[in-house]
Amino acid sequence: MEKEHKVLIANRGEIAVRIIQACHKLGLSFVAVYTAEDAHSGHVALAKELGDSKSLYRISSYHDANELLSIADAANATAIHPGYGFFAEDFRFARRVTERDRPLIFIGPSWRVIRELGDKINTKRLARSLDIPTVPGSDKPIYDEAEAEKVARSLFEFQVHQGVEKPLVLVKASAGGGGMGIEEVYDIDLFRSVYRRIRNYAMRQFKDDGVLIEQRIKNFNHLEVQVLCDRAGKNPVHFGTRNCSIQSTGLQKRVEIAPGFDPSSITYPFDAQKVMDDITEYSITLARKVNYDSVGTWEWIVTKDGHPFLMEVNTRIQVENGVSAAISRIKGKADVDLIAEQIRCGLGDPLGYTQSDITFDGIGIEYRIIAEDTEQNFTPWVGNIDNFSWNHTPWLNMHTHLPQITKENPYTIPTEFDPNLALGIIWGTDLENVKERGKEFLNALSITGYNGQSSTLKSNIPFLLKNTDRILRF
Amino acid sequence: MLNISSILEEIKKTPYTDLSVRAPHTGTLVFTDINEGDSVNSSSGQWQEIPGTKIATITREKNPKPILATQKGFLQKLHMKYNNSFVEAGVEIAVLRHFLSKQEVVHILLQKALHLFNAPERAKYYFAPDIDKKLKISGHKNITVTDGMDLFIVSRMKREIPLAYHGPEGLIYEVYFEQNQNVDAGKPLIGICPPDQLSIIEDVISRVYHEWQEQE
Repeated sequence: MEKEHKVLIANRGEIAVRIIQACHKLGLSFVAVYTAEDAHSGHVALAKELGDSKSLYRISSYHDANELLSIADAANATAIHPGYGFFAEDFRFARRVTERDRPLIFIGPSWRVIRELGDKINTKRLARSLDIPTVPGSDKPIYDEAEAEKVARSLFEFQVHQGVEKPLVLVKASAGGGGMGIEEVYDIDLFRSVYRRIRNYAMRQFKDDGVLIEQRIKNFNHLEVQVLCDRAGKNPVHFGTRNCSIQSTGLQKRVEIAPGFDPSSITYPFDAQKVMDDITEYSITLARKVNYDSVGTWEWIVTKDGHPFLMEVNTRIQVENGVSAAISRIKGKADVDLIAEQIRCGLGDPLGYTQSDITFDGIGIEYRIIAEDTEQNFTPWVGNIDNFSWNHTPWLNMHTHLPQITKENPYTIPTEFDPNLALGIIWGTDLENVKERGKEFLNALSITGYNGQSSTLKSNIPFLLKNTDRILRF
Repeated sequence: MLNISSILEEIKKTPYTDLSVRAPHTGTLVFTDINEGDSVNSSSGQWQEIPGTKIATITREKNPKPILATQKGFLQKLHMKYNNSFVEAGVEIAVLRHFLSKQEVVHILLQKALHLFNAPERAKYYFAPDIDKKLKISGHKNITVTDGMDLFIVSRMKREIPLAYHGPEGLIYEVYFEQNQNVDAGKPLIGICPPDQLSIIEDVISRVYHEWQEQE
């Protein structure tokens, strides 16, 4: 890096810890922020340990852009890393950061790229223009009932033709998201009533009665492609695929595996290697088309018979970046750190390697360790943690924002945020080896705690153990 | 049995509360032309249209925000060292001494006299929809609660679960929480007055109104 930089870390918890560590590794100054609820978080302790007197500020909210930018000025920061969540995919924030009187570098894609790929409908249209497969259905909001029915009818016929036993069509409010305003239709005769219901809902909720009609795909695996490019946006590279199919009932990821399939030990009813090659190629094609200039994740559905469909692009670093890094080698070297790479390239360094310099070795599993009751619909558990320990081994990388915990000095989980405790990333030589190590790690992991209702800590460890055997399968 | 006289005597020894005035967010702080010992007012008027006394202005990203007195009283302490400097959220910038009104003394006594139903955990609390509706129509003092009644919705981490009331039957005499605000575990949510104690409670209130001298 030609110029000295100072990075404002506009986030909290595990990702804030990772960014502080990456800045430290790159020899960069940083400034971290925290709210009153996070006063005892590990990211605060680490900022105190590795930073100087201007490296930590208490703020009222992680959502207050004015406050973050005022701290950037007060601390003489030159760049902002948004982490994931909060402002990470907010193109207006990225634009504001880079176009203000005292401009800062937004360590993420340029705002035009976030705007272009942040809109799922736009991404779908763009993908189709490049012959990239997307979920069959409309690629623009439909406002006319007859047109909507025509699309739905053609989707039913298409599925029958494809040999789908029970064809289903999804009716979605185009302005909605996160599972709101979505209904399934299994019979075309019921379509109009569902369409009207969703249209009315969309009008009430979003003041826009546009509706999307798509094929409802069942029995699929959720794959991702990890992409990285420097500011030139010309030669994107990928760090392979991940499989994120093991999720909670609320469709939140719990276990991620890299690579996305393992044809060397599992027999799939399709050419799994070809599917992984295809989706990485498609992802790179789209990245190149928009001059993608940071890290990003291309999310895919792969059906049981091996058809991939692009779902969306997440224009940010993702929680599960570490599992891709665990199996990746750059010019033969391990210890790949995608956050450090994102910062380095974001500040203007050229990538310095090409796709042929990236190789893969072994299999990785990432477990998201969360205080939650998996038997009760994954209800978050809150309270005090008085013990959190694990066996340290060379094949384990543990990312956590929990501070040093003792019986006398417990950690209280803040109720304002999800009760994520740690990410355990396991590396193994092959699938059997990594599963064995994964179980060994989970069995040795010890977390205890209590809360005001005399409830002992509930965690998702039994769920993770139970699901380790079914990873990479449909 | 509640010894009102002794509690009142105790309150009379320190008939005020010292309120900490804190920076609502990070920013550059500038005090107004105000000194320690100056009296201040809270917002007033029929519609609270008259703002409280301005103590300072805090600015972040060219957005100035006045910091106003939230209670009537006088400025016990002003941390002038922060004048014209960049402060973090939550930093104490002043201490406001507020003398207790009759209503506030009643409030303190009622917390000792009523049956309190406390928050089991730190979360946001809401009345169950049917109770909330009744409350808005007829006020909380007209709502009778019974043991086991689903009275609250507990909201935390994007999830909502019902919470049943446990305790004696009675009227909701006091509500101690605000919707959308976090309540710490163990803090009271409501104060219940069993029907046979209604006259005692009313005596408490009437005594305070006769005996308590409000200070300026």
